[in-house]
Amino acid sequence: MTTTSAGPHVHGLGEPYKRKEDARFIRGKGNYVDDIQLPGMLYADIVRSPYAHALIKGIDISKALQVPGVVAIITGKDLEAAGLAWMPTLSGDTEAVLAVDRVLYQMQEVAFVVAESRYAAADGAAAVEVDYEPLPVVVDPRKALAPDAPLLRPDKKDRQPTNQIYHWETGDRAATDAAFAEAEQNGVVVRQDMYVPRIHPAPIETCGCVADYNAATGKLTVWMTSQAPHAHRTLFAIVSGLPEHRIRVISPDVGGGFGNKVPIYPGYVCAVVAALKTGRPVKWIEDRTENLTSTGFARDYHIHAEIAADKEGTVKALRVYTLADHGAFDAAAQPTKFPAGLFHICTGSYDFKHAHVAVDAVHTNKAPGGIAYRCSFRVTEASYLIERMMDTLAREVGKDPAEIRLQNFIKPEAFPYRSALGWTYDSGNYERALRLAMEKIGYEELRREQAEKRARGELMGIGISSFTEIVGAGPGKHFDIAGIQMFDSCEIRVHPTGKVLARIGVQTQGQGHETTFAQIIAAELGISPDDVDVEHGDTDTAPYGLGTYASRSTPVGGAATAVAARKIRDKARKIAAYLLEVGEEDLEWEPGRFYVRGSPSKGKTIQEIAFAAYTNCPPYLEPGLEAVNYYDPPNLTYPFGSYICVVDIDRGTGEVHIRRFLAVDDCGTVINPMIVEGQIHGGLTQGLAPALYEQLAYDEDGNVLGSNFQDYLIPTAMETPRWETARTVTPSPHHPIGAKGVGESPTVGAPQAIANAVVDALAHVGVRHIDIPITPWKVWAILKEKGLATA
Amino acid sequence: MDFSGSQTIAAPIDKVWAFLLDVNKVAECAPGFQSLEVLGEEHWKAVVSVGIGAVKAKFTLDVTRPEMHEPDHMVVKARGKAPGSAVELSGDMHLTAVDSGQTRMDWEAKVIVSGTIASVGARLLQGTAEKLTGQFFACLKAKLEPAGSSQS
Repeated sequence: MTTTSAGPHVHGLGEPYKRKEDARFIRGKGNYVDDIQLPGMLYADIVRSPYAHALIKGIDISKALQVPGVVAIITGKDLEAAGLAWMPTLSGDTEAVLAVDRVLYQMQEVAFVVAESRYAAADGAAAVEVDYEPLPVVVDPRKALAPDAPLLRPDKKDRQPTNQIYHWETGDRAATDAAFAEAEQNGVVVRQDMYVPRIHPAPIETCGCVADYNAATGKLTVWMTSQAPHAHRTLFAIVSGLPEHRIRVISPDVGGGFGNKVPIYPGYVCAVVAALKTGRPVKWIEDRTENLTSTGFARDYHIHAEIAADKEGTVKALRVYTLADHGAFDAAAQPTKFPAGLFHICTGSYDFKHAHVAVDAVHTNKAPGGIAYRCSFRVTEASYLIERMMDTLAREVGKDPAEIRLQNFIKPEAFPYRSALGWTYDSGNYERALRLAMEKIGYEELRREQAEKRARGELMGIGISSFTEIVGAGPGKHFDIAGIQMFDSCEIRVHPTGKVLARIGVQTQGQGHETTFAQIIAAELGISPDDVDVEHGDTDTAPYGLGTYASRSTPVGGAATAVAARKIRDKARKIAAYLLEVGEEDLEWEPGRFYVRGSPSKGKTIQEIAFAAYTNCPPYLEPGLEAVNYYDPPNLTYPFGSYICVVDIDRGTGEVHIRRFLAVDDCGTVINPMIVEGQIHGGLTQGLAPALYEQLAYDEDGNVLGSNFQDYLIPTAMETPRWETARTVTPSPHHPIGAKGVGESPTVGAPQAIANAVVDALAHVGVRHIDIPITPWKVWAILKEKGLATA
Repeated sequence: MDFSGSQTIAAPIDKVWAFLLDVNKVAECAPGFQSLEVLGEEHWKAVVSVGIGAVKAKFTLDVTRPEMHEPDHMVVKARGKAPGSAVELSGDMHLTAVDSGQTRMDWEAKVIVSGTIASVGARLLQGTAEKLTGQFFACLKAKLEPAGSSQS
């Protein structure tokens, strides 16, 4: 960093500063929900349905109450009597807290048992006798709309008479249809069905809470695995009727969220009810199977996509139809006005003149969800479909997948770019990112190698993904969750000695906010991040915020932090002018110091100014040095990147070996390159997961077949290739520091790079698409069919 | 899951029928059988423990025989539950006299398993069911066939 005079080195933007939070994590001093122990605390376990669809004819808790240690059992009838049997979801549906007369998916919550120990709670749960009458099961969403399909939600048949939750469409249908008609005559049309399977975020820490009600003060404190503590506090207040100022939600250290910890789950509500009922603190912690089978899943989109192009492969129009499987309750985490999230970012990095997207969502006998798993509301599905389709188009017109992309990219001079589906992209330079990726990986050389190998009968593939992300929701006028606008906030207090406490409305689940947000303040105020403590996650102290998901922390919370710091600096300028006896306009700023223009030696450091704010404040100013900002972004941000994956396929086993994977990311201004690198490595691994391994499958009776890590395969270090990374920087023009957010780009961009590489390896024998996860079995079956299998 | 099979037992048809009619004898051959209690006419409560892979469960079954045509056709139904799991079984059995000393049993079974056993044991269910069926028929034959007979 260059400075005009001897300002301090403050580890501001662009510096690989070591994560401040790691000091406690690597010493085992983190404080997760399950670490919390309160005197007299009870432990909970949940009785869950073995059936995917059944009537509850009766629940007998008499034996369970006799189990030693069992203190109380709550059933749906108990909740019904208290008006708490149902709760609102994030998508305007109502979800059963505990099933009263009907279960709709396997593992649905039926009764809540609290006991003196976790073991006694489990024994009590096993002793609860539930009499079920099984009903026909709807597993396949394509059958959910059949006239003879059982109606899964008679509870809302007045407003929704079938299993269809919504039909939603956007874009210009007539213009799109006309472009397709034209392409049918004089150009090309490519079509593909694809399934983006149901997967699960599977954070290392499962969901859980400790609920503690103090009858003397009337205050309820809930420590919970929450990505959005303030929003959860408000929802608790609305659902329970407890006054909001007497509810304190604390989200302590959280071991990964990835969208899984955005919804409110029945376990949280039941723990609160049990704490009120017993007068003792109640802890509820999910086991792995409960987390995988009952909490928010992601994806599950059945997509049909079509591109119209001219004979040269220049794209004209995109048409997409999607059937979305939302499970038993519509608990998708979406901004209210966008039932399919930001799925209509699906024109991607390409200059489509026309597009039309339609989505039908249906109920099935599966767990509710549809959360944004490390992606901003359905962006992964959108990016996957367009990147797969661009490869399909390239094959159709006989062009290289890189060439078809370069030909169709939105040009750098076209920004801000208005997409056919209504988004305004803030900034981008897609060609630069792809060319950098091609140069770094040696694209031409790899294509030559591929041709040689093909001649020898070896299968090698190269896959490209040139994705565009859309993150950082608000603006508040377009984006809200349950009515609460998606702004975010920061409150900064500079103490008299120049040390800083910053409290933020977003919340970290491992993203490194305590470091990056300190660096934003460091860059703005010239105070070392070591002297800035960042607090978050406690609704009694942090300013109101909408939480961390959809890569919104840096775009929204980071902007609030920069703006709050600038307010501090503005006041510091006034104080410095008073102290130096000059006009404000005569002062120059360098990191950490105001000095008199033309006399660099005459100045006041931010620490001196802070001290004066409390000891020698100008009489015309309020004492103190604090600021708050609630930031409502003017637009979303649009990070992007180009990923290239090289695979070799074993003709004997069908196994896909990722030989190289290069990720070029552009997240605008980089705050901490080390944290960005870490985010990208983690995100790429979570992008590899659905490409080759993960799927939450169900059998025909609605049994979950991925209920544990033996059956639901997440990649470990053994499966993960070496990630190569590189970067371009295209700042966001509307963000205070030009940052766009990065946490989700790799998860969004990676799966299709891998899928495209596998299809590329088999394209010469006519393969155009393989649904993810691309398991050895699927590949081997294709090799066998094409006469390529050696075993 | 649907299963079916055919077994030839070296015993006359009326002896096989008499054996199958006696629930206590049949129960003794059921793998994992623990207890049987009469609830009414052609209606029993049976407790059976089953292990599928790492999961072990004790099922309490409600058993009935809704159809019987002496000496060649019998339908057995059972519905039961264990903590976190449930099962529904329906078995249909036909006996045919091959000759005076041999009887062929053709059987079909429909099994619906729900809950933990189905989720965790999905990949092992078929194999386990085949193994348990094999054990059942081996027991049946051992009890019905004259010592030294080795027809399979």
